[in-house]
Amino acid sequence: MAWLVVRLAISVSLLYTASAVFEDQVGKFDWRQQFIGKVRFALFDTHSQASKKLLVATDKNVFASLNSRTGDLFWRHVDKIGPEGHIDALLMYGQDAVVVTGNGRLLRSWETTVGGLKWETVLDTGRLFMLFCVNIRINWCIKLTVSTFDHSFQAAALVGVQDFVKYVAVLKKSAISLHDLSSGSQIWVENLPDSDTVQYQTIYSGGNGLVFVFGVVPNSHIVIVEYKIEDGEIMRKKSVEAAWMSSLESSCTVISSGILLCVDQITQSLYTLQLQSAEQTEIRQIHLQTLDLEVASGFQPVLTSTQPNPAQPPLSEFFLQLSPDHHILLQLKDGLIAPLRDFNPSYLAAFATSGERTVAAVMSPKNDTACSINLFSADTGRRHLDTTIIYHMDPNGGKPNRLYVHAFLKKDDSVGYRVMVQTEDLTLTFLQQPGRVVWVREEALADVVTMEMVDLPFTGTQAELEGEFGKKADGLLPMVLKRLSSQFILLQAWLAHLWKLFYDARKPRSSVKNEVTIDTLSRDEFNLQKMMVMVTASGKLFGIDSKSGTILWKQYLENIQPDSVFKLIVQRTTAHFPHPPQCTLLIKNKDTGLGNLYVFNPIFGKKSQISVPALPRPVLQTLLLPVIDQDYAKVLLLIDDQYKVTAFPSTKNVLQQLQDTASSIFFYLVDSSQGKLSGFRLRKDLSTELIWEVVIPTEVQKIVAIKGKRANEHVHSQGRVMGDRSVLYKYLNPNLLAVITESTDTHQERSFVGIFLIDGVTGRIVHEAVQRKARGPVHFVHSENWMVYVYWNSKFRRNEFSVLELFEGAELYNSTVFSSLDRPHPPQVLQQSYIFPAPISTLEATLTEKGITSRHLLVGLPSGNILSLPKMFLDPRRPEVVSEQSREENLIPYAPEMPIREEWFINYNQTVSRIRGIHTAPSGLESTCLVVAYGLDIYQTRVFPSKQFDVLKDDYDYVLISSVLFGLFFATMISKRLAEVKLLNRAWR
Amino acid sequence: MQQMKRLLVVYVALQALFALSWCFSDAEPGPAAGSQSNGDRFKIEGRAIVPGVKTQDWISTARILVEGEEYVGFLKTDGSFAVNDVPSGSYVVEIVSPSFRFDPVRVDITSKGKMRARLVNYIKTSEVIRQPYPLQIRSSGPHTYFMKRETWGWTDFLMNPMVMMMVLPLLIIVLLPKVVNTNDPEMRKEMEQSMNMLNPNPELPDVSEFMTKLFSKGSSKSSGGNKGSRSVAPKRR
Repeated sequence: MAWLVVRLAISVSLLYTASAVFEDQVGKFDWRQQFIGKVRFALFDTHSQASKKLLVATDKNVFASLNSRTGDLFWRHVDKIGPEGHIDALLMYGQDAVVVTGNGRLLRSWETTVGGLKWETVLDTGRLFMLFCVNIRINWCIKLTVSTFDHSFQAAALVGVQDFVKYVAVLKKSAISLHDLSSGSQIWVENLPDSDTVQYQTIYSGGNGLVFVFGVVPNSHIVIVEYKIEDGEIMRKKSVEAAWMSSLESSCTVISSGILLCVDQITQSLYTLQLQSAEQTEIRQIHLQTLDLEVASGFQPVLTSTQPNPAQPPLSEFFLQLSPDHHILLQLKDGLIAPLRDFNPSYLAAFATSGERTVAAVMSPKNDTACSINLFSADTGRRHLDTTIIYHMDPNGGKPNRLYVHAFLKKDDSVGYRVMVQTEDLTLTFLQQPGRVVWVREEALADVVTMEMVDLPFTGTQAELEGEFGKKADGLLPMVLKRLSSQFILLQAWLAHLWKLFYDARKPRSSVKNEVTIDTLSRDEFNLQKMMVMVTASGKLFGIDSKSGTILWKQYLENIQPDSVFKLIVQRTTAHFPHPPQCTLLIKNKDTGLGNLYVFNPIFGKKSQISVPALPRPVLQTLLLPVIDQDYAKVLLLIDDQYKVTAFPSTKNVLQQLQDTASSIFFYLVDSSQGKLSGFRLRKDLSTELIWEVVIPTEVQKIVAIKGKRANEHVHSQGRVMGDRSVLYKYLNPNLLAVITESTDTHQERSFVGIFLIDGVTGRIVHEAVQRKARGPVHFVHSENWMVYVYWNSKFRRNEFSVLELFEGAELYNSTVFSSLDRPHPPQVLQQSYIFPAPISTLEATLTEKGITSRHLLVGLPSGNILSLPKMFLDPRRPEVVSEQSREENLIPYAPEMPIREEWFINYNQTVSRIRGIHTAPSGLESTCLVVAYGLDIYQTRVFPSKQFDVLKDDYDYVLISSVLFGLFFATMISKRLAEVKLLNRAWR
Repeated sequence: MQQMKRLLVVYVALQALFALSWCFSDAEPGPAAGSQSNGDRFKIEGRAIVPGVKTQDWISTARILVEGEEYVGFLKTDGSFAVNDVPSGSYVVEIVSPSFRFDPVRVDITSKGKMRARLVNYIKTSEVIRQPYPLQIRSSGPHTYFMKRETWGWTDFLMNPMVMMMVLPLLIIVLLPKVVNTNDPEMRKEMEQSMNMLNPNPELPDVSEFMTKLFSKGSSKSSGGNKGSRSVAPKRR
């Protein structure tokens, strides 16, 4: 009975404390890095000199405030994914930042110091048409509403009156509205005239009580509408002939006191138009030739002007970009355009204003690896002395493509500046004079597509030791000597380590830096530190140290299509010294399916010199075989659309091995558009033959996901011991595929989710289940003999977990080897479902070295937390009525609702925004599983699903145990003495 | 004028067909108070309160999530919030903050824009326990992410069943003879009697006696076992 009590106590303690974090463990083995994405708008807070704020809005629908001195986030707001959260414009005035979101749907004003919303208004331009509706004919009314429903965002601008910015104007395709800057209330909204023919694109206000709206009818004329700020009355409307004009954006700008300036590549001319004068109805043409300028052929010239204060007209100086590396600063004076300074060559140019002074920063190439940035005064084009910043380009990175300048006045009234450079590979570099890099952010990591964790290599000494066992024996004495020498090396290394510890201990704690560099990398005792190889959507590869999060190498792959599909394969691990580890990245174009291979060393990030097979045909499937070539690289098979197989590496040795094993190599293909699953077998000549085909009719349901089991997964026990001491054997089919389908009918009464378990070799459907009144998105994990999936129950509007477990029964058919071809008995399938009281972003299971440790499910929640849910709760054998036997088995009684405890959040308050994937990898310790969660942020930690049973816990009380030991020791000494005295006394008696 | 009226009637009738059309719901006579409707899209409003904490200390990390991340809202500097552009339906509205815990609320929006807030119950989904609308969501305190370390204390040690099993008999053995006056001959007799009752076979060798004999031979060597032998010593007397 006592035994049972103890066991129960253990199980209860397991239940309640498994995988929790202790407060003193914070930051000990976990880290988080927060990202924002590709910057689309960046504004420096110029409101006060001491301000460190840098406001950014990105393509990931993130609006954030960065500390410009450190690059850290002050705060960050993550909006909805997709067009509804898309940030269209960012304007800033004083402490407030105005953001237009969702294609002109919402106008928000943020309090930038706190990071809270000041006000939010819906930009609704539909109201106006209703007034017409009632009066005019109905048919027409409906037509009108439909056509005007398309009010997509065009432009936004701050509007000032008499040196004071009071309003913000928002231009949409068919309407313009003016809002109060302090409350967000709409002052007026007006329809734009002839909005069905005229494309209104830009807006301008020069602080004189008027708002100008520019529209264009392509290749015909420009329309300029003038609104009065007070009530939105149209003051004037004029149209100007401009047959050459196709779009206003980027080719037109307003300079000086209301002069519209445009540039055209075909006519090689600049055009100016006085906005306010009623007389000028003709646009003035200035040939670029008269200025000795020429636009590079095929390049769309870009005009950049600056308006330092929205309440005042813009400056009369502007940049004209003539080719990708040629800018020129021009000035409009007395109706004449004169060049101030020619920057040839120059990559980027930008204006910045501090106080009353406006400067221009220009980045020009210096040599192959560096660029120099210089400051020029905007009104004269004269160079400021001692303002050069040298920007060193990363040889493994991309070219700079955006320049953001922060100008400030120094104490001696000269202008100082800092710059932020964004490159093609989404690196943000913040530089200070004279070229000091203040901080760097790798924003490509905001979009990690796939990743792998690679073991670190042994150090020289470790490798030496390993080498000793690898070599063939050559006599007794040399072996002994070798042994002794390697032991001596170990001793040396240990002494060096001790010395370092001693040396570091004398220094103050803060100055001791444990900097990880690529050269000091080596495997630790328990293989807890690994190299995280991350592939990002922009085509930049990263090697990150899993212990500290330091980026050890990065490599930008150029010419990657924006929506490519990546697959990362580890072909050779670090275990085969002296062969370097090898990773292969398959980059596939989403549309054409054409792929190419990039082979690299995952530890150093260097491209490998191995010749890569050309892939002329679209790749359908890849297959990593356990077959290895003479250099210990696993063989990768690539199947093209004619079902021909390419092997990589394809040495003679490999081809020979493939011929021998061809009859046992099977693979499957999925065609979700036709709902077809097919299985193939390899032939000796590397062609393939169709073995089976399963068609899931696409009219009813479509295949949304398919998953096999992870190749590096180990199952420790073949069965489960039941309460009556019999064994229930697991159905462990390594070839089992889980196929998820969703119904094409999305009506909530008729929609369903289908689950098929298909044997990948024979095509046999092992199990089929349909979840009625359910819809996706389905997240699932397929492992060992079970599968867990989550779906949305549309009837009860909740998420539900369902678990399927497959058992062979009380007897194993063939206990030594599993063959898909010889399994006559279908498995017993057990299933149970539970309510999960939260939405789910992603799902993954923990993985350990030998599979002894109990499994946990890692559930990524939209709140950013990662829940570690014991698999014990997802056991289809959970009884409804507790019996003696179920208690014996430690089965938890069935409860419909799954518990969510805050202690189970493995990332405590380090939430991961928009969590998209969780990667789990085993470590050298059986108890420990490494977890990396990625999304907008990256979080790395370790989890201990069955607690740390194989190492001493962190809180192991050394003091207590040693004091008890010493206490006992002294007690025995004293009692010994006492016993002697007593014996002596007795002898005297 | 007459024609105008007729047109209006026709218009209204047609509008009824387009019940979900956006221009209709604006003309709708009485959408529930507080819910501004924008076409067939509505606005969920409310306020979040964390007692005893200034709003600027936590609002920058908090978000309002409606049905996962389907609709997202942000908090204003005074703690109020509004989630725009939500079509009619039933949603779970949740305030997500890494520091404070908020209970989710289910908000039902009818096609006419009537709002209702109720407690979330995933098991009995149709059960209605009304909550105030516009939402008033009060934080139930900071999150408790961390487990308490088992700290070593004397009370824990003493309350351990094993220790109790060892210490209590020891106390009885040591203290009882002192409490009970053993010099009193009557008492001694009584005790002897009770001992005999317990031990009906006096010929059987006493285990404790046997042990003491065993240990006293090598008493200088045995250390840990001394405790045991000492504890039985008074019994022998």
